[in-house]
Amino acid sequence: MTPESRDVSIRVRDLRVDYEVFDDRRAGLRQRLVTMSGTGRTLVHAVRGVSFDVCEGEAVGVIGSNGSGKSTMLAAVAGLLPPSDGEILVSDEPKLLGVGATLLPRASGYRNIRLGCLALGMSNNEVDQRVEEIIEFTELGEAIDRPLRTYSSGMRARLHFAIATSVHPRILLIDEALAVGDRRFRKRSSKRIETMLAGAGTVMMATHAPAEIRKQCSRALWIEQGELRADGPAVEVLREYRSFTG
Amino acid sequence: MTVHDPLARLKPVNPELTWRQYLLEMWDRRDFAVAMPMEDLRATHSNTLLGNLWHLGNPLLNVAVYYLVFGVILSTSRGVDNFILFLTIGIFTFHLTSRSVLGGATSISSNQGLMRAIRFPRALLPISIVISRLLTFGIELGVLVAVTLATGEGVSPRWLAAPFVLGVHTALNLGGALIAARLNAAFRDVQQIIPFLFHLLRYVSGVMFPLDRFLDSSGGEYPLIRRVVELNPMVPLIDLYRWMLMGSAIDVGSVVQLVVVSAALLVFGFSFFRGAEWRYGRA
Repeated sequence: MTPESRDVSIRVRDLRVDYEVFDDRRAGLRQRLVTMSGTGRTLVHAVRGVSFDVCEGEAVGVIGSNGSGKSTMLAAVAGLLPPSDGEILVSDEPKLLGVGATLLPRASGYRNIRLGCLALGMSNNEVDQRVEEIIEFTELGEAIDRPLRTYSSGMRARLHFAIATSVHPRILLIDEALAVGDRRFRKRSSKRIETMLAGAGTVMMATHAPAEIRKQCSRALWIEQGELRADGPAVEVLREYRSFTG
Repeated sequence: MTVHDPLARLKPVNPELTWRQYLLEMWDRRDFAVAMPMEDLRATHSNTLLGNLWHLGNPLLNVAVYYLVFGVILSTSRGVDNFILFLTIGIFTFHLTSRSVLGGATSISSNQGLMRAIRFPRALLPISIVISRLLTFGIELGVLVAVTLATGEGVSPRWLAAPFVLGVHTALNLGGALIAARLNAAFRDVQQIIPFLFHLLRYVSGVMFPLDRFLDSSGGEYPLIRRVVELNPMVPLIDLYRWMLMGSAIDVGSVVQLVVVSAALLVFGFSFFRGAEWRYGRA
């Protein structure tokens, strides 16, 4: 099938995301009173007018320097961050896997699975039916009953991946979440992603590992300073990015 | 032949929800709204030796402290029938509201991890906290009934009003929790101020001593204090509990006012909270 005849699952048009942050080094009270400025907040333009379409069955890698706006863009596509301007259309509710997502740090892995699934919209019955399968996929063993804050980032990623994919999402957004996993987990998660793609699912993955993108994605987006620098076949975009970073 | 439209199934990732749709989304996640408070209860005292016994120990110690200060040292108990029950009702009732509002204030800021990972109606977070506080109040209600019976008040048909009283109380708490949640999400300063506001409010809510006596002595000089007392919904609420358990006098007009104020606070709190739904949980 040519891409033109496939259904579009994500359409992003002129997306802009700004946010306000409290300054670390704020102007003193006196200075603020005198100049009536320096309110201690700065507007950050994280994403500055990005547009693209992604089709069903497509896996798209997202690359770019640290702080280039990849995570912000994915969070906006997931509906977790409000765009300041532009349009985001999706064919199904996207699920985001972020490496920074901590869920409930004090609760055990088991309870995080339960509460995470309930928050995703499952009923108690559905959770009862699926929880064993999810625990099995995490391969966390006894650690499943330990508080989440004691987990390594790889263990957290495994738990989070298992929760997010348990609802069989049609659109999965992965933000650096798989890179921290060990070899075995990366293989198992790749397999699950391939199954998803075969069933006309859509995957976008931000990562700093070019090998991951070459392996899983046919296409890549390169984001730099909040702008889309390149959009095309993964191999070509990766080559451009490599010559940019030197 | 029909032309296949590859854009047919696209819809905005975050559509504007109507009230009905928002409430339906919450209803779909009702199991979550029950599981979160249970988790909160479990976690509250999980780092203590006595564990869940603190849900009982905490209110009992509170009553002991206030009894010592106001009953024994300051003797505000003079002229009050069954002062220990009078005091216990005041403290527990007031505490439920102050803990609900303070918990609501931090419900958004303390669940950032969950919000950054999963989309769900954010109002479920303050609602969960209010439910959690209501569940611990169940233990305090048990203590209240025990004190009532131990001090010879006996069982009364007035107890049948309990669902109504708890309903009004919960509406009030939820309204306050939702407002505090949005304010604190914007300015973390709010959670620092709330305890002081409630500390102040406690003295004009008739928790530890009957208000009329207090008003006679200072309300005449300070009309503002009288004004605050008249508007404060905690006063008729505590009166309502005392009427239910002690059979003390109650002014029907003030109860009507309480119901109206609670309902208004709940409706306002909900729309106020939803006004910033988008902004919760961002970095």
